[in-house]
Amino acid sequence: MRYFLLLIAFFLLVGCATPPAAASINLSDLQPLPGVSATAVKPLRVAVAAIISPKGTVDSYGPLLDYLAEELDRPVELVQRRTYGEVNDLVQSGEVDVAFVCTSAYIVGQRDFGMQLLAAPQVMGDTVYHSLLIVPADSPAQSMADLRGSVFAFTDPISTSGRNYPVWLVQQMGETAESFFSRTFYTYSHDDAIRAVANHVADGAAVDSLVYAFALEREPELAQKTRVIHQSPAFGIPPVVVSPQARPQLVADLQAALLQMNETAAGQAALQAAGMDGFVLIEDALYQSVRELETAVNREP
Amino acid sequence: MTIQNSQFLARLWRFAGAFSVRTKIMGIVLALVLLLGVGITVQVRSVLTLALEQRLQEQSISVARDVAARATDLILVNDLFSLHQLLVETQLNNPDVRYAFVTDSNGTVLAHTFGPGFPQSLLEINTVASSDHHHTILLDSDEGLVWDTAVPIFDGKAGVARIGLSEAGMQATVTTLTGQMLLTTVMVSAVGIAAATLLTWVVTRPIIELKQAAEAVGQGDFQQYVIPWAGDEIGELAEAFNAMTADLAQAEKERAEREHLRSQLLEKVITAQEDERRRIARELHDETGQSLTSLMVRLQMVNQQCPLPDIQEQLDDVRTLVAQTLDGVHNLAVELRPSVLDDLGLAAALHRYVQDYQVRYPVEVDLVVMGLEERLPSAVETAVYRIVQESLTNIARHAQAQTASVLLECRNGRIRTIIEDDGVGFDWDQVKENGRLGLYGIRERAELLNGVLTIESTPGQGTSIFVEVPL
Repeated sequence: MRYFLLLIAFFLLVGCATPPAAASINLSDLQPLPGVSATAVKPLRVAVAAIISPKGTVDSYGPLLDYLAEELDRPVELVQRRTYGEVNDLVQSGEVDVAFVCTSAYIVGQRDFGMQLLAAPQVMGDTVYHSLLIVPADSPAQSMADLRGSVFAFTDPISTSGRNYPVWLVQQMGETAESFFSRTFYTYSHDDAIRAVANHVADGAAVDSLVYAFALEREPELAQKTRVIHQSPAFGIPPVVVSPQARPQLVADLQAALLQMNETAAGQAALQAAGMDGFVLIEDALYQSVRELETAVNREP
Repeated sequence: MTIQNSQFLARLWRFAGAFSVRTKIMGIVLALVLLLGVGITVQVRSVLTLALEQRLQEQSISVARDVAARATDLILVNDLFSLHQLLVETQLNNPDVRYAFVTDSNGTVLAHTFGPGFPQSLLEINTVASSDHHHTILLDSDEGLVWDTAVPIFDGKAGVARIGLSEAGMQATVTTLTGQMLLTTVMVSAVGIAAATLLTWVVTRPIIELKQAAEAVGQGDFQQYVIPWAGDEIGELAEAFNAMTADLAQAEKERAEREHLRSQLLEKVITAQEDERRRIARELHDETGQSLTSLMVRLQMVNQQCPLPDIQEQLDDVRTLVAQTLDGVHNLAVELRPSVLDDLGLAAALHRYVQDYQVRYPVEVDLVVMGLEERLPSAVETAVYRIVQESLTNIARHAQAQTASVLLECRNGRIRTIIEDDGVGFDWDQVKENGRLGLYGIRERAELLNGVLTIESTPGQGTSIFVEVPL
């Protein structure tokens, strides 16, 4: 009898080996995927250039887009692309209605297809920002000259603060980026450039001062890991733009919504999430220095 | 329970007893190896399956988490090609990954590894909440079991990554391992059989030697000595056997001595008996016979001188009585020890005896003597004479025979005697029960001379007695 029980226990143990399946499925029964159905209400498509990383963008601009959806009473869709150039293409082709772009992207877009300024965010009471040259906290470098032969992280090929200004600095020393640095690479966002320096992936990088301040606020440990060794002159702040073919009514509605944003509690909360005080109208003249820098850096040698 | 147990044990004992020791040892070794091998295989298989399944489950979670992390930016910037590449590479780098796909937050499939189509029913099978770390279920697919893990991408804002890990590879591993273990079991079994053969030889050799020695001892050979090969139980048995053989040899020796003494004693008794008979026969013949003869002569003389007819008549009666007594004494003397046996030999004595026998009993006896020209040793002559005498007396008393035959043949230094009758025969067992010692007597006589005596008889078929004695 004991042996019999032992035998049963043995087979129970063996039987326990495979748990029961939760559901059954036929993996070879393949069907074509349905196309995306057109929604009844056409959403407002908002592009945000990759000044900060895609996830950071969602976190920062999410409340702002929710605010716009509420104000305009239509769904808003966030569109992101890896590079500034791709966002510019979307604006030009009208695939997005409104875009948050970088200053130099505006310069290029305005020059190439007449990209229109809609408004600009005001940060710390001003509509300017700087390019900051940062190095790892333990780096001995004190200026761009000390970074000769090092690895340098650019943010985007047409970024003012992330590429054009540091390249201009190198050109002032009679060098090119290729000859001055041992190696360069693109991070396609400013917060990733900061992380690259903090983690010693790059020996130096130039980043948007607004993004840097915002990033330090969110990740205080970055302040211990990085150090600013140079600050550029003030540049016009990255604007909000629309396509030259944008319907005037939409332009007016968007402008109104943005300019009145800090007048409601929801709007203030959204502005706070994006690290902005509010939106103001802006003149193309503010971007003259950026335009000159862009011309100087990308001039044919 | 106890009774059942003992019955079970008895049955088991009978069953086990039906096989030779060789088979038992082989059986034990094989059963042990097979039981152990199969048991361990089954156990390892189940443990391994459990462990690998757990690992597969964990792997499906880690792969799904990895894909979700790497897919986040690709989804956000709408880089569907890179997303597809990510899934393809994930499948390429993890052979167990049966499928991988990514849906956006609305559940629309953004990229997948199924190729031309997509199994739509897979979409709803596994769902995961935005706040969950992951959600894993086991699917029973047409290609075997699949661990399906869903992981929310960017807290569900960017969608869901789904990974399916097939158990096929794991099952193949388990099957291969099981096969190898069973193969090992078979190989170990083969080695076990070889070892068991050797072991059997080692164990059974002393037993077989013991058996052969026991058979030899059974046939009377007490010189057997079994070498105790080992100090184990069988070695002890061999020593006990040797001690027993020595005891038996000693006992046999003592028995032989006693037998010898008995034979000597018997021989002496028989010799003494024969001597005594001879002396009494001679006394009867010489003294009593002479006295009676002279008594008759005197009576004759008295009769002739007596004038009275009455007295003469009475004297004649007395003389007849004396003559009868003389005959009786003579017969008694012959019966006791015929002097002719001593004087003329066995053949003459037997002829005389048979002659007298036929006068006294209504049995016709045919006596044939061959090759007995010379005198034999006295002991042999006496023994054969007494055997024939006893046999014929038995025939006369019990056989109710009409005829009997006695054949005496001396050849090649042996004397063979055959006594046959056509009487009622007898049952040997019954004769033994009745305690008739006559037959034992003739056997003893034959054996004292190293002879052989055989009696063949069945009721109604007559009796044959064969005696062969060496000279």
